[in-house]
This record gives sequence, structure tokens and C-alpha cells, in this order.
Amino acid sequence: MDKAVERELIVPETPEEVWRSLAEPGWLGDDAQIELCPAGAVRAGEHSGFVEEADEPRRLVFWWSARDEEASRVELDLEETDEGTRVRVTESRPLEILSVRGRDLAVELDLAGGSGPVASAGAGGGGQLVMIG
Amino acid sequence: MPAADPADAVFSALSDGTRRDLFALLGRRGEASATDLARELPVTRQAVQKHLGTLAGAGLVATRRSGREVLYHPTPGPMSEALAWMAEVGGEWDDRLAALDRQLERRRAGA
Repeated sequence: MDKAVERELIVPETPEEVWRSLAEPGWLGDDAQIELCPAGAVRAGEHSGFVEEADEPRRLVFWWSARDEEASRVELDLEETDEGTRVRVTESRPLEILSVRGRDLAVELDLAGGSGPVASAGAGGGGQLVMIG
Repeated sequence: MPAADPADAVFSALSDGTRRDLFALLGRRGEASATDLARELPVTRQAVQKHLGTLAGAGLVATRRSGREVLYHPTPGPMSEALAWMAEVGGEWDDRLAALDRQLERRRAGA
């Protein structure tokens, strides 16, 4: 199962106005800060990470993790609508999918008697590795 | 996709509010009999038994016999961990988006 959480918010502001608001501390946590540029730092409470993609004012992608937890990827998409802006958040753990799928793959390889990764990759569940990219 | 997707079984088992309460209660107790659990929920022992059967079918609980009693315990696995993560992270984003909305609202009011 792909672990992902999706939430939406619709506000009357334009994507540009929402984007500016993202950089302000507060909404992400009291002492939070987020630099809206690639490799920018993300800090919010126990979470810390970095920005992967900053496409002003449409899309912000960052990675973060809390304490010793596994990192998750957060995608914020700002879409202009008739009413203003739809803010869509998706938080997922792609690395976990990779490790789980990797385990499946290892099992398949084992069953196949080591006949090679390419031959076995799609055997069990329909070539899931493609989904990661 | 196989017909009996374990994720479907988990979501279906936890789509019922009573079963969610039951699962949460069992998580707090660690281990309990159907009779114990029925005492703390507004349902009969028979209903609890039936719901536990559904949770067991989804791989969320398992049983252990102790004398004449059957004791149930939750079985944390990848599925229940995933659901717990989704519930937690979903709640956090509800709060953050509400905060973002309030932040924009203040600016709106000030403008």
C-alpha cells in the first residue's frame, strides 16, 4: 500500500499571495521557518529538512523528518481557481515504498533461484518499481 | 491486483466506528477477552465477538487461549502502522492548513 496523506484548502487569495504567506512563520508551527528555494532549510518544531523544488507560485516540494523517524516528502500545489486558490498538500513516504518493494523483490529473486533482477522485477505485483520515479 | 487485497480488508474492517473503538480499546489494553471489551463498549458480547472476528480476518488482531478464555491482542504490522501514520499525519495537516487559513484571514482583515 502506498502511504500518502492528501488534504486541501481553498482560499480567496491568489497563488502569489498564498505563496508569500507560506514563507511567514506561524502556519507550519510557532518557530517554523522555510526558505522557498531549492535546498532551502525547513524547520518546524521537531521536523527539519530541505526544499526539493520551489516553483513560485505553483509548487513547493520539501522533505522532512521528525527526530529519528523516516523522512517524508511533502508536496504543496497551488492551483488558481475561480474562487481563488486551491492548496493541495500531499505527504508521502516514497523511501519506505522503495524499501518494502525492495523486500518483495528480494523474495521474488530468492524464489526464482537468483535468475536475475530484471527477469523477476515485475513478476509478483506488476513492476511496482516504475511507480517510484 | 489480487482480489483479496490486504489493504482493502484493513480499510473495510476499520470503516466501522464500533470496530475502530474496539481496535483502539484493545490497543490500550494490550490483551483482553470479548467479555472484558464488551463491558467497556455500548454493545453486546456477541456483537464484540463478531467485530473481533472481522478484525482478525483483516489481520489486525490475533487470539491466544488462556484456560477457558480466549484473549485477543492487536497485531501491529505494516498495515496497521500505515493506518496509524495516515491518521496522525492527516490530523497534523488539518491543523496546519487551518492555521494557514487563519494567517491569510488576518491579512485579509488588515488590508
